[in-house]
Amino acid sequence: MRLAKRSRARLPRGEGAGAWLAAGSVALSLLALLALLSLLAIRGLGHFWPASIALVALDDGRQLAGEQVREVPLPDGTGRERLYRIGNRDLDGTRWAWVPVSAIAAVSHPPELMVLERHRWGEAIGRLVAVESETGERLEGQAARAVLENRMTELASLRQARDTLRDEVVLPRVQALQEGGDVERELATANARLRELQAAMQAGHLTLETASGERWQVPLDQILRVRYPNAMSPLDKLVVWGEGVWRFLSEGPRAANTAGGVWPAIFGTVLMVMLMSILVTPFGVLAAIYLNEVAHQGRLTRLVRIAVRNLAGVPSIVYGVFGLGVFVYGIGGSLDEWFFDAALPSPTFGTGGLLWASLTLALLTLPVVIVATEEGLARIPDQQREGALALGATRLEMLTRVVLPMATPAMLTGVILAVARAAGEVAPLMLVGVAKLAPQVPVDADFPFLHLERKFMHLGYHIFDAAFHGGDVQAAMPLVYATALLLVLVILVLNLTAIFLRHHLSTRHGALSRR
Amino acid sequence: MPDSLPPSPVRRRLRQGRDRLATVLVTAGGIGVIAALLAIGVFLAVEVVPLFWSGGDTQTVSPRALWSPLQAEDDLAGYRWDPTATLGTEEPARVSLLPLAWGTLEAAAWALLIAVPLALGAAAHSALFMSPRLRSRLKPTLELMEALPGVVIGFVAGLVLAPWLERHLADGLAMLVLLVPGLLLAGALWSRLPPRLQQALPLGWAGLWLLPWLLLVLAVALWLSPWLEAWAFGGDLRQWLEVRLGLDLAVRNAIIVGMAMGFAVMPSVYSLAEDALSGVPRSLSEGAQALGASRWQTLWRVVLPAASPGVFAAVMIGAGRAVGETMIVLMASGNAALMTWNPLDGLRSLAATIAIELPEAGPDGLHYRLLLLAALLLFLFTFLVNTLAELVRTRLTRRYRRLGGVA
Amino acid sequence: MSFVQDLSSSPDSAALIDFSPEASSLAIRGLSLAYGDKPALRDLTLRIPRHRVTAFIGPSGCGKSTLLRVFNRLHDLNDEVVRTGEVRLEGEEIHGPAVAVAELRRRVGMVFQAPNPFPMSIHDNVAFGLRLQGGLSKRKQDDIIEWALRSAALWDEVKDRLRASAWSLSGGQQQRLVIARTLAVGPEVLLLDEPASALDPISTLKIEELIRNLKTHLTLVLVTHNMQQAARVSDYTAFLQDGELVEYGPTDTLFTNPRLRRTENYITGRMA
Repeated sequence: MRLAKRSRARLPRGEGAGAWLAAGSVALSLLALLALLSLLAIRGLGHFWPASIALVALDDGRQLAGEQVREVPLPDGTGRERLYRIGNRDLDGTRWAWVPVSAIAAVSHPPELMVLERHRWGEAIGRLVAVESETGERLEGQAARAVLENRMTELASLRQARDTLRDEVVLPRVQALQEGGDVERELATANARLRELQAAMQAGHLTLETASGERWQVPLDQILRVRYPNAMSPLDKLVVWGEGVWRFLSEGPRAANTAGGVWPAIFGTVLMVMLMSILVTPFGVLAAIYLNEVAHQGRLTRLVRIAVRNLAGVPSIVYGVFGLGVFVYGIGGSLDEWFFDAALPSPTFGTGGLLWASLTLALLTLPVVIVATEEGLARIPDQQREGALALGATRLEMLTRVVLPMATPAMLTGVILAVARAAGEVAPLMLVGVAKLAPQVPVDADFPFLHLERKFMHLGYHIFDAAFHGGDVQAAMPLVYATALLLVLVILVLNLTAIFLRHHLSTRHGALSRR
Repeated sequence: MPDSLPPSPVRRRLRQGRDRLATVLVTAGGIGVIAALLAIGVFLAVEVVPLFWSGGDTQTVSPRALWSPLQAEDDLAGYRWDPTATLGTEEPARVSLLPLAWGTLEAAAWALLIAVPLALGAAAHSALFMSPRLRSRLKPTLELMEALPGVVIGFVAGLVLAPWLERHLADGLAMLVLLVPGLLLAGALWSRLPPRLQQALPLGWAGLWLLPWLLLVLAVALWLSPWLEAWAFGGDLRQWLEVRLGLDLAVRNAIIVGMAMGFAVMPSVYSLAEDALSGVPRSLSEGAQALGASRWQTLWRVVLPAASPGVFAAVMIGAGRAVGETMIVLMASGNAALMTWNPLDGLRSLAATIAIELPEAGPDGLHYRLLLLAALLLFLFTFLVNTLAELVRTRLTRRYRRLGGVA
Repeated sequence: MSFVQDLSSSPDSAALIDFSPEASSLAIRGLSLAYGDKPALRDLTLRIPRHRVTAFIGPSGCGKSTLLRVFNRLHDLNDEVVRTGEVRLEGEEIHGPAVAVAELRRRVGMVFQAPNPFPMSIHDNVAFGLRLQGGLSKRKQDDIIEWALRSAALWDEVKDRLRASAWSLSGGQQQRLVIARTLAVGPEVLLLDEPASALDPISTLKIEELIRNLKTHLTLVLVTHNMQQAARVSDYTAFLQDGELVEYGPTDTLFTNPRLRRTENYITGRMA
């Protein structure tokens, strides 16, 4: 008893309500961050998982087949309803179906249900009835499945052959023809071959029976992939999931940005950010060196330093306005008048494009690089500079051989932070050159290979566009989640690199000031 | 000594020349870069001038049109922003910037209302209570949160949070109401725990082990909310709001924007406030604790007053960010240029207006210049706010140095 | 003409001693210096003898380090510094228009209070100055590096790890490395700004021994707080106070028989 009393006396004093609310705000912030990240991760990655297809029998005898998306309470509070993605948009006019849970009689997952991923109209869901070949040969049941599988591999290789032929033979010849080359014969052969391939692909169609019993024919060349999700083992599903993720990263968008991949957007983002860092690094470092090493350290320099710091806080949209007014309308307009007057009134440089976007973002991130580099320079002890000078080094030699090598981690940190900021910035790009859909990537085989005047796609803008301007937002949502996840991952990796570098930097200088 | 060096005069002159050239280049380049940066303000100011004053006969806008209501309409609805429909037509120009400024400030105010308590609470906790190990992990984590792109936050707010809250208004309200009592309950329970358990759950790690507790509180809130809705709001909160308070609910509204932008702004406020609080010389807080004050009392009476300029600067920087943030407002606000006091209505901010309308406006028109004026306002506001914060912060650093603190 | 002129007979002069122009390495006349409007040196005139160790002593802020930094024009870095008067190195005005600062600094080396090796290997630290001058074969360069490290009594300690980081050395070794680095470029004058104040007693002794050995071919100027050190290693000592030269003479005389009350008070520790 006595012992217990004594131990109670040693309890830490109560800290009062405030301390718990303060601790709670840490927990709440972390919770919000975790919730956001896991939402993106689950929805973004889950989209590629081949979900089971439910065959739903309703009370009134109707049937539908689809993937269950979610279940929510009915607005009037009398029960719950489920949303199914039933596909077959060209047949029913919609690919969604809301079903009250109370109206469902039975749910089953028959293994023969088939999902067709198609070029247009999204997926088709149903049972395979028959496959008809070009010669009118009709196969049913298990034989149809086998034939379909063969035909799909065949089609894939035909498509590949067609794309290679088009990109490597036909398009260069067309180019050469325009420039007066004598390639008409070669072009004619190639075109004939192209038509052959096209014809070979068009042959055949399959008959599908939907859950409601309707039968319809789907041309085989429209079909990209065939799946039987209910018959797949988890390992099969994992493979399909991996393929889905890969296609998302490597293919272009389809169906008005609601399907397909984001490769052009990844490419555009990376290219723009690379150009930006090539522009911002030398100028930022130059300005920092000037401010810290060359300029007279007086009142004016102090004011300029504060101003530069504050420019980091000016909204990005203001930089976008500056980019539009000065780069696009001002400089771009003049360039058009001087060099591209043949193309006027359609602008070449007088409209948003890769170059102007990179320049604008370079300006936007310039303060970040300047501030980081300056901090790195200021942290180098003056003894190091004096040591170099005392050995007979000129100021240039002191800078290049002692000071800059020591400030490199700080510079790198600045550039990486700038890149992370630029990769996530969308608002200024809307003014200076991002495009909803840019079929031409700004890099190709035509001279000068890098087309600075072209518009480009961007991950961040892709999110905005697909989420707000697409026709079927519901259908685009999974892809938007995946794109958002990708963007966040890219930025997290960049920031982690910067944090690691900064840590490395501070430990190194810790070693220096050990004495 | 081996033979002394042969200092070749040619090489010496070469080195000297290179050094001079480099100095000139660095000076020119540095001044050029900085001038280009500072040119932003000049450009905006110069481009805006023809809006009010032009030498010739081109159209201008009277300053009155920008800030005053239309004739014959007296309340807030008289302030209109509708340049595309009215500029260049016979109608009186409806180009009042007030609804936009209103929307900007309203969004920023809600964002700060959410971000500031969270950020300051988190800063106080991590500066005074948190275990150093957790703190060294938490700071970079929240810095990562700061780097989350606005477009992602805006997407989640506008397309996930907003529709959910529209359907589950009562759930959201219940969560909000139960949050504070839930945390206080955690404190009360903790102080009754046996000492062994208290040691296993130290206050220094509360930021982490409160997470499951918070989840539990939120789950309880979800469970209670139908009951709460039935008891206090006659079964339907939305209807109750409409009938009793006359508040319409827009799917994307000021509250949603505030939550999303609060989330976005919170880390930067936290980071600066934490720097200010933990920069207060140890001697001060230890002196207070030696006199018998609890850590919370020390914070309130000693540390916070000493660090108040830094905390003020943090809030200012947060305000600057909230005012200029574009994508979150664009995606989560509905972009209706309304001037209402209803926090459940949509709004339209200056930045979002620029992003939407400038690509369509075409160079050199009145509309273009009006939008540039909006950009100039944003620029001036953030620049002033940041300068103020920077000056206050510099003064604070100097004060600490006098007090002999700061590692 | 004698090497040394004894001035003790003229009581109004601060200096007990003067050197003939031929015997002196540095000659300072009427040197004044101010940081903005704060004067740091007032009208100094003295000569520093060649191949001897001259020590500057005096209370903190008396201007002794400032004076040292005039000799290799490190003050050029600071825009606020205002300077008048002349400083001649081997008869040539160091602030003259034809003088290349970098070359002057090669001839007048300097070692600082805290050791400041560059963040590179031991070898590269010593090679730093040589590479700036250029025109040396690799063999020759390595010879000079070995010679410099031997002269700084460091060779035996580091010869097996020349590629190791200079920051891995101890403080005393770092300071000797800095001396070696300076010796490698072949200076005529070596300025030492409290070179041992950050070191332990054993390292300090090593540095002092090094200073005594180096005066065979170098003019050394030593600023120190430590009067025993000045007495142990220097041949001549100048006492500065408030930017003025109070007394200057042979070390033995100055410490045993100071002419002025101010000097006596300082060296016996009775500061006003």
